[in-house]
Amino acid sequence: MDQRRHGTAFRARLAFRAHPAWVGPITWAVVACAALAPADSLAQPSGNEGSDAILVLAAASLGEVLPGIARRWTRETGVPVDFSFDATSRLAHQAMETGRADVFVSADAVWMDWVEERKGILPGSRTTLAGNALVVVVPAGSPGSPGPHPSTWEGVTRIALAGENVPAGRYAQEALEALGLWNTLAEKTVRAGSVRSALEWVATEEAQAGVVYATDLPISEGVREAWTIPQDAHAAVTYTGAILAESARAPLAEDFLAFAAGPEGRRLFAAAGFLPPPEPDSQAIRQAPPEQRPSVASAVRISLLVALAATLAGLGPAIFLGWILARHEFRGKSILTTAVLIPLVLPPVVTGFLLLSLLGTQGVLGGWMHALGIDLPFTLPAAVLAALVVGLPLYVVAIRGAFEAVDPHYEELSWTLGSPPAATFRRITLPLALPGIVAGAVLAFARALGEFGATVVLAGNVEGETRTIALAVYSLLESPGGRETTWLLVTASVALSVGALLGYEGLLRRQRRRMEHRT
Amino acid sequence: MTPASPAVLDLHVQVPVGHPALDLRMATAAKAIAVVGPSGAGKSTLLRAIAGLERRARGFVTVQGEAWQDDNAKVRLPVWERRVGWVPQDALLFPHLSVRENLAFSGASTAQEVEATADVLEVAHLLERRPRNLSGGERQRVALGRALLADPRILLLDEPFSALDRPLRIQVATLVGRLTRDRDTPIVLVSHDEEDAEILAQEHWHLNQGILTPPA
Repeated sequence: MDQRRHGTAFRARLAFRAHPAWVGPITWAVVACAALAPADSLAQPSGNEGSDAILVLAAASLGEVLPGIARRWTRETGVPVDFSFDATSRLAHQAMETGRADVFVSADAVWMDWVEERKGILPGSRTTLAGNALVVVVPAGSPGSPGPHPSTWEGVTRIALAGENVPAGRYAQEALEALGLWNTLAEKTVRAGSVRSALEWVATEEAQAGVVYATDLPISEGVREAWTIPQDAHAAVTYTGAILAESARAPLAEDFLAFAAGPEGRRLFAAAGFLPPPEPDSQAIRQAPPEQRPSVASAVRISLLVALAATLAGLGPAIFLGWILARHEFRGKSILTTAVLIPLVLPPVVTGFLLLSLLGTQGVLGGWMHALGIDLPFTLPAAVLAALVVGLPLYVVAIRGAFEAVDPHYEELSWTLGSPPAATFRRITLPLALPGIVAGAVLAFARALGEFGATVVLAGNVEGETRTIALAVYSLLESPGGRETTWLLVTASVALSVGALLGYEGLLRRQRRRMEHRT
Repeated sequence: MTPASPAVLDLHVQVPVGHPALDLRMATAAKAIAVVGPSGAGKSTLLRAIAGLERRARGFVTVQGEAWQDDNAKVRLPVWERRVGWVPQDALLFPHLSVRENLAFSGASTAQEVEATADVLEVAHLLERRPRNLSGGERQRVALGRALLADPRILLLDEPFSALDRPLRIQVATLVGRLTRDRDTPIVLVSHDEEDAEILAQEHWHLNQGILTPPA
C-alpha cells in the first residue's frame, strides 16, 4: 500500500518538476509566463493532501538541483518531496499565507529575514545551503561581449534582469551599480518575473544581454556566457533554507534540510555548479538595494492610455467584423468567427506567447520589423496590441449584437427610398446600432483595463512604460511592503471597472429604447 | 390601355418558398390593383419581388414598360434604382429620425412638398416628433407620406389599413386614392381582407396555393 502511495506522489512530483530535459527553450517561456500568471499563483501540487510528502517552496534557480538531492533523500527515508519553484519574492508571500508548506528555500537573506520577522519560520532553523555567481549572458549567436567597460554594451538595446524585488534582480542591479554600469544601462533593462524568464528572453533574442546565475547557463542552449561578474561587486548569493512555522511535518523537514546542507547535498550542489555556502560574515557586507515600488500615478496613467488606445484602434476592425458577422453569409464564416473569438477562450498568456512568437525579434513578422528598426516587444505599443487582441472578441461580439438588433427591414426600406447600401449603412444601420457600438467600446475598454497575461508576455513589466495597474499590483504582491499602495491601485482598478460596466449597462438600455418603435 | 398591352405591371416570378412554391404571374393595365389572399399565401413576397428585395425570385418583372428584372437577359435593377414606394405592414418609421426627417428621407421632394403632404395626411403638427410618440394610424400615414414623397413609379402597400379602425381606413384610403391619381402612380395593395381591396382597387387578384388568379 505504501508503494502505491509513493508512486502517486512521485508522479505528482514529476508533473511538477519544472524542467525535464526534453522541454525545449521555447516551451520555457510558456512555463515561465505561466508562473507569472496572477490567478492561482499559489502553487498547489496535486495529490499529496494527507500524504507523507513534504512540500518545499524553493527559488526558481534551484529547479534542477534540489529534486536530485530530494531523490537521494527519499531513497533513504521513503518520504517523497513535492516542490513549488518560483521567484523567491513570490514564494515568501506564499510561505506566509498558504500554511501548507514545510520548507522555504530563499535565494537571498533579505526575503528570509522578511519571513522570519513575521514569525513565519521556526526559530533557529535557518540553514545556508549554497552560493552562486552572476554571469552576463548573450544570445548564442551574438558576436558582442558585454563586459566591465561601458563601451562593450553599445550594441545592446535591451538587458533582461529578474524583477526588482526578486533576488537575482537585486543582486544584478547591485553589481551593475557597484561596477559603475548602472547609469548607462538602467534605461535598457527589462524586468522578468523570475531569473528563468530573463534567461529565456535572452535565448529568444528579445533581449541582447541578461544577468542570470552561473548555474542557469546549462539550462538554455540559446545563450552563452559573456562575462562572469566579480563576486565582490554584490552581496554573496546565499541560498538559505528554513522550516516554516506552520509545518505539520517539521522533524521530516528538518531532516531534509540537514541532508541538503550535509556532505551529499554539498556534493550535488557543487556538481551542478553552485558555489559552497558563503561565510556568514560576507552575507551582510552590503545593504540590499532599497525596495522599489511601482508608481500609482504612472500605473493608472498607463492603464488608461493603453485601454483607450486599444479601444480606439480596435473600433474600425470591430465594426467591420461585427457588421460582416451580423449581416453576411459567406463561405468560411465559421472559421472567421472562430479566429475572432479564440483569444476569448485562450489563456491570455498563450495569446501573448503566440504574439511574441509572431512579433518578437525571432518571429516571422518581428524579424522583418526588426530589420526595419522596429522592435515592438516590451514597448507601450506592445501593451496596446496585447490589450487589443485579447479584448477584440468581446468588442466584436458586442458590436455584432448591436447590428443584429437593427431590424434589416429598416435597411431594405432605406434602399427602396433610393439609398444604396453604403449610404444606408451611414444613415440607418450605424446610427441605430450606435449605442450598442459605444457599449461594445466601453466593454472593450474595461477588458483592456483588466488585461494582464498577454501584456506581461509581450510587453513585459517595465515601470513607466508598460506597467499598468494590473502589472503594478502584481509587482507589489512580491515586494516586502506596499500593502497601502496595493490597496490604492486595487481601489482605482475596481472604480474604473465598475464605472465602465455601469456605462455599458446604461448604453445597452439606450440601444434597446432606440429600437422600440411601438408604443 | 387594353389588356393586350399590360403597360402597368407584367411579371412572372418563381420563388422557392412555401408548399407549393410560389409561381406568380400577373399582367395588367389597371392603375390600382389589389391582391387578396390568406395570411402566409406569399402576398408580401410578391411585393418584395417587385421591389427587388426578394433575392430568391427568378423570372421577370416589368413596371410601366421598364424591365426591372429579367433573368434571361441578366437584368436586375438594384432596389435603390427602382423607386418603389414601399409601405410595409408595420410602417417601419426610422426610429432615430423625426417625422420630418422620415418624410424627407428619399431627398426626392422639396421642403415645401414635405409640408404640403404632411398637411394632406394630417400629420403636420407631428413633424418634429419621434416615431415612438405616434399612434398606429399616425405612423401609417407618415409611412405613406414617406413613400409618396420619394416620387415612386409604383406604390406597394402591404396591409396598409390593418392598424386603422374603419372610419380612418376610409379616410386614409381616400387620401391614397387622391394622391396617387394626382401623380398618376399605380398602386399594388395586398391584404387578407376583401373589404380593404374594395376601398381602393379597381382590379382584384387572388393569391392562393402559390398561384395568382386574375379578376373574373
